[in-house]
Amino acid sequence: MLGFLVGEALRDVRRAGRVGVSAILLITLSLAALGAFWLLSLNLGLAVAQWRERLRVVAYLKQEPADVRALVAKVTAMEGVDRVRYVSKSEAMATLKRALGEKAAVIDDLPRNPLPASLEIAPDAGAATPEGTRALSARLSALPEVEEVQGGAEWVESLAQWRRLFQSVGLGVGAVLALAAILTVTTATTLVLHVRRDEMEIMRLVGATALAVRTPVLLQGLIQGLAGALLALAGLEVTYAVLAPRLEPLLAVTLGLARAVFLSPPEILALLAAGAVLGGLGGLLAKPGV
Amino acid sequence: MIRLHHVAKVYSVGAVRVPALSDVSFSVAKGEFVVLRGASGAGKTTLLRLLYGDEPPSEGEIEVAGLDVTALKRRQIPELRRSLGIVFQDAKLLGARTVYENVAFVLRVLGTNPGDVTPRAFAALRAVGLSSRAQAYPAQLSQGEAQRVSLARALVKEPPLLLADEPTGNLDEDMADEILALLKEAWTRGTTVVLATHQAGLAERLKRRTLVLRQGRLVKDES
Repeated sequence: MLGFLVGEALRDVRRAGRVGVSAILLITLSLAALGAFWLLSLNLGLAVAQWRERLRVVAYLKQEPADVRALVAKVTAMEGVDRVRYVSKSEAMATLKRALGEKAAVIDDLPRNPLPASLEIAPDAGAATPEGTRALSARLSALPEVEEVQGGAEWVESLAQWRRLFQSVGLGVGAVLALAAILTVTTATTLVLHVRRDEMEIMRLVGATALAVRTPVLLQGLIQGLAGALLALAGLEVTYAVLAPRLEPLLAVTLGLARAVFLSPPEILALLAAGAVLGGLGGLLAKPGV
Repeated sequence: MIRLHHVAKVYSVGAVRVPALSDVSFSVAKGEFVVLRGASGAGKTTLLRLLYGDEPPSEGEIEVAGLDVTALKRRQIPELRRSLGIVFQDAKLLGARTVYENVAFVLRVLGTNPGDVTPRAFAALRAVGLSSRAQAYPAQLSQGEAQRVSLARALVKEPPLLLADEPTGNLDEDMADEILALLKEAWTRGTTVVLATHQAGLAERLKRRTLVLRQGRLVKDES
């Protein structure tokens, strides 16, 4: 029975002709747009997570503490702190020399090491926000050993805001295209219903259940939706394969991302399911006799 | 097999009520061949539509093949129709499907074992003498052939009751006789047959129990 119903649905897909093709293409477009924004958002999300992980607040000390371990333990115990690393004056100088390279000789003439000792503080996940780092900075500034505090999460947050913007735009564009796709599938299915009204009448007269009469219509929508989703995925995969190697150097410099990622298998399945749902809805909304 | 008790059907057209059937009562026993005769508009088609649950009566009770049609819910109508074969004046064949596919379609819709579909469809086509035309399309058939295919389609599921609504209405006398012969053959194999016709001569040739409808009323029941 199921084989017969699927066969009837495939026959209907062929019958839908150009309108059916339009429906499939619109589903492809809507899911490709949704998928593209999803990919962007996914990679921006990775960059945000990576930068949050690298986020540091630096507390410059008035002088090298007598008991480094005690100061580190005190700061580690503060709210919003994940890890603390002590950087001595000499370590800071060595780092500066490495950074200056061949020009490091200019600082050899200095009468004394002007660089302060510092604490590099990694905020925990809850504090890795602009408000969190501001609060942490305030707490650190209040310490008598601390001269000045630098660092914050503002730009990481602005990256996260870009990500949210991409998500919203993606959902908006996807929703508009999805609506158009549903309407096109509905039109395609309604046309097919009109063509096959004789068959539906015969089905009813010989005692087919309402479900059996309606199932090919639903399946037709599902098949169109799945076909559109597969095309969208293929388009995204090809675009990713072509663009990712070219964009990765730029991503490394701007976002610090070593490589761009593609949708995971569950995300691919979700996109296919979205196609099936779009098509199925179109089939469900179609009414005969229009 | 069929029992009607004081059945009436009234259509409302705006504020106007148009009676199609009034106080119709009769029974048809299992294995009977009954002719339902009446002029156009006498209520024959309405009566048949009530029998296969296409619409409910305005009044009265109807029982078909052991089912109380008046009490059936919409979702129970398929159960009633599975025990019926229905033939119409226009054969209602599916133009995009071959003769074989038209007949097999019914079996597939009803979920018949796929292995049984072809043998049963061909057996039904052989019974109406059209197995050699299995691959033809309806447009390639004469009206008589189309009606024979329609009959094969109605009988392929071996229903206990066959309702035929003017099956010979579009046919010449020879073709009509062929259809009548096939209906009789189905009847001799045990199928209860109700044949609606406006052709008085045809009813006389059949020499079967005849119910005469006039303006929606049953005016004669003669054996």
